[in-house]
Amino acid sequence: MLDQLINGLVVGNLYALTAVGITQIYGVAGVINFAHGSIYMVGAFVGWMAVTWFGLPLLPTLAVVLLASALLGLAVERVAIRPFGGSGRTVLLLSTIAAGLILEQAAQLIWGPETKAFHSPFADVRFRVGGGSIGTLDLLILAVGLSTALVLWLFLKRSRLGWAVRATAQDREAALQMGVDVNQVSRLSFAMAGALAGVSGLLVGLYYHSVYHTMGFSASLKGFTAALLGGLGNIPGAILGAYLLGTAEALGVAWLGSSWRDLIGIALLIGVLLFRPGGLFAAARQLLPEPTAGTFIPIGRPLQIPRWALLAAAAAAVTLPLVVRNGYWLQVLATAWIFGLLAVSLNLITGTAGQISLGHAGFLAMGAYASAILTSRLQVPFLLALLLSPVIAAAIGVLICYPALRLRGQYLAVATIGLGQGIALVALNWPALTRGPLGISNIAPPSLFGYEITSAAGFYWLTLALLIGGIWVAERLSGSYLGRALRAVREDEVAARAYGVGLERYKSIAFGASAFIAAFAGVLLAHSYTYIAPDTFTHALSLQVLTMVVLGGLDSTIGVVAGALALITIPESARFLAEYRFLVYGVLLLLMLRFRPRGLLSAAS
Amino acid sequence: MSLRGALRARVLLAGVLTIAVVMAGCTSKASTPPGTEGAAGAQTTASQDGVLIGVMGPLTGDSAEYGKIWRRGFDLALEEINAAGGVQGRPLSYVFEDTQTDPKQTPAVAQKFVANEKIVAVIGDFSSPASMAASPIYQRAGLVQLGITNSHPDFTKAGDYIWSNSGSQEDDAPFLATLAVEDLGKKRLAVLHMNTDWGQTSADLFIGKAESLGAEIVLREAYLLTEKDFRPVLTKARDANPDALILISYYNDGALIAQQIDDVGLDVTVVAIGSVYSPQFINLGGEAVEGVYTSTRFHPADPRPEAQEFVRKYRERYGVEPNNFAAVAYDGMKILAAVLNDVGVDRKALRDGLEKAENLQTVMYGTTSFGEDRRLRNPQYLRLVVRNGAFEIWKP
Repeated sequence: MLDQLINGLVVGNLYALTAVGITQIYGVAGVINFAHGSIYMVGAFVGWMAVTWFGLPLLPTLAVVLLASALLGLAVERVAIRPFGGSGRTVLLLSTIAAGLILEQAAQLIWGPETKAFHSPFADVRFRVGGGSIGTLDLLILAVGLSTALVLWLFLKRSRLGWAVRATAQDREAALQMGVDVNQVSRLSFAMAGALAGVSGLLVGLYYHSVYHTMGFSASLKGFTAALLGGLGNIPGAILGAYLLGTAEALGVAWLGSSWRDLIGIALLIGVLLFRPGGLFAAARQLLPEPTAGTFIPIGRPLQIPRWALLAAAAAAVTLPLVVRNGYWLQVLATAWIFGLLAVSLNLITGTAGQISLGHAGFLAMGAYASAILTSRLQVPFLLALLLSPVIAAAIGVLICYPALRLRGQYLAVATIGLGQGIALVALNWPALTRGPLGISNIAPPSLFGYEITSAAGFYWLTLALLIGGIWVAERLSGSYLGRALRAVREDEVAARAYGVGLERYKSIAFGASAFIAAFAGVLLAHSYTYIAPDTFTHALSLQVLTMVVLGGLDSTIGVVAGALALITIPESARFLAEYRFLVYGVLLLLMLRFRPRGLLSAAS
Repeated sequence: MSLRGALRARVLLAGVLTIAVVMAGCTSKASTPPGTEGAAGAQTTASQDGVLIGVMGPLTGDSAEYGKIWRRGFDLALEEINAAGGVQGRPLSYVFEDTQTDPKQTPAVAQKFVANEKIVAVIGDFSSPASMAASPIYQRAGLVQLGITNSHPDFTKAGDYIWSNSGSQEDDAPFLATLAVEDLGKKRLAVLHMNTDWGQTSADLFIGKAESLGAEIVLREAYLLTEKDFRPVLTKARDANPDALILISYYNDGALIAQQIDDVGLDVTVVAIGSVYSPQFINLGGEAVEGVYTSTRFHPADPRPEAQEFVRKYRERYGVEPNNFAAVAYDGMKILAAVLNDVGVDRKALRDGLEKAENLQTVMYGTTSFGEDRRLRNPQYLRLVVRNGAFEIWKP
């Protein structure tokens, strides 16, 4: 028990390093920086080069990493933050994701995809504590974590520049009027957070003796969780949150097993946020961490597309397989229609109701698993499974999302990351129902009225039919009283409540309706792949769907389908770029966000 | 304002769509293999020039490392094949489509390969979800899909066009149990396994065999693919008081576990499954992996000439020692080439040829043939131990 506590503190130490940087950026820029993990990774690589290639000792290595990652932090601020100043936080969220993707892909091209061994430039002495041990590196990490937190705290509370930083965080316009150079402040904070991210990457790389190009993602996820536990923007809170997360995970692993680690972190986060929506150490008056009106999501006026054009487009889509015989493009388009349906469903949550969801793969997984289990275990015919699975997914979806719906804005966003991953983890850890990691294989292809649909064209028509049905339902919902109530929640929660619109009730309806439509996409996916496993439903998939919705134009059903079409066909079209494909994808994403922040099919409001 | 805005939006939209269309145009040209101009050309020239294998696998994303290693194995195999006259006198080559081993991308790639008449067989994908999402398309089209890393027990069950030369868990795991229980005399085993289809099946098979040999399993723990901090689970293992720790791991996580064993005061023999047999394991693990036992189907010191030749050529060309992923890629390409050379360049003939082929020369299996489950028979094993920073052959 004591040993497990120590194990938890040791790993909490590592989480604290990232959590402090994330929470600091949030305190200043008001945005969760998804590129933080990528700077962390580059910092680790820079340190690895310094030690392995140039044989530098620890202190000069630290200096090099500090400098390089501070510069990188500045670069991220210049490219992914400043140009998007006026475009709202969803766009900032996506622009940092794009910047992170670009860095990660570039790192893979520069340093190669294989894990690099990183042996520390100094001897590690270990001290026995109980049955386990603590090494010098653990102590160094502790010292770096605590001292940077202290320096940051002193800087923010005591120095004039620190006051400027805090003033900018509280009210950018007011700070500007008081003569604070807010751009300078923003640069400064990103440089500091970048330096901190780089050093944490270096130390964690040394700790695990390895660096690799995808190391940033899971580290930043733990960092987000710890920062949220402590309350975003609260530096001591982030450190305590990190230790709490580390110990909870270690004890959970001892009790339930190692596969439960991430699920324990997610449960802890949601449990805490349920009772203290601003984090453990937030004062009561900080309960509203986000502005609730207008500024959060930029909504453009949907571009009016004439009815005849839509009908013509639909007719063209329906007749396409009669003209195009190429199975490859029909398959790509069928995938685009499935993701279009998924984007339409997410649009109800994000576009209409204004809530960010980064866990949409979870709803997809529920639909897919429900249908796979119904048809292959219980011999239910496809058509019945197609109708039953969405009902099951919507019911479970509302049940598990309900506790999270008290959260707002970016808190909800991070909680949904957890929920989305949580659903996949439940599928992994419940072998009796889902066959666990083995997944469900040999799922029958879709069959309607005795005909099996196996050709690319048949599958294309099936997906298109469901997509058109989904669009019709979503449009009807959107135009009804429900749609107006959801928009009222999006625009101003306080005003909506004053008019008698129950927030949690309407948000649940949005999540339920969304899960219902997403589950249709899940059913199609399961019967098209014929094999599903927990790792089919990744976090990357959730991110991609959100990108489709934002790019296509929030609250524009046709727009998000166009977004899905673009994001499925562009990477396919870019195959000739080979290894550079996703680097180019990241750059394109950033450019589109820059020049069309309100979506492809949406006019400026 | 709104009218102008709308107009601007349309112009921009048109711009983006144009780019997309242009890019699409570029691809269809770029992806057509050299020597053919469009689909009509493919039919007339197919019988005269090169023979093509389609490869789908990860070149970007989390598993990009393995795709790159595959490519080395393929390139080495092709050099030899083409130096020896190719396939019935025609040069053999491959197209590698990056799928990031993502099941969303493989069905489309499968359709692309199926439609390309120059492609006679497909290798890949890396992960089970990605590979198995494409299998029904290959099966229906009658195009052989050879999975080189697909040890999922259901992979080859998708149909008679789905084959695999991957190491089968049904052989690997029980052999490891014999090594731990009979050769090393261990009786109290703690098993850590990766929580994937491969890890779970291997652990089941290992435990079945170990128990039948009279050993006791004092702990069985699954861990997530993304796990980095093994101290809690190793503390749990220590408290179960085992006399050996069994790792069903890849080399990256295997090395990480080995490094943390000492931190929690666990001091037992470590026996790891053959996937750790890679220079990376020693490179990453350093001191900590000294004394780890494992098994493999080939080793640089293995006297079989085909293994000797493979290791020598690989070392010469790339400057590093090959690992299992390079060997299966090399074997996969060689098997397809050998059978195609015998039966002729035809999709259906290739499938029948794989079934009938005898005396296939491979690095991993020696001289072998496919069994009824469409996997290779007759595995041969060497026992290894890590000593002085190298894998050494160990004899009980």
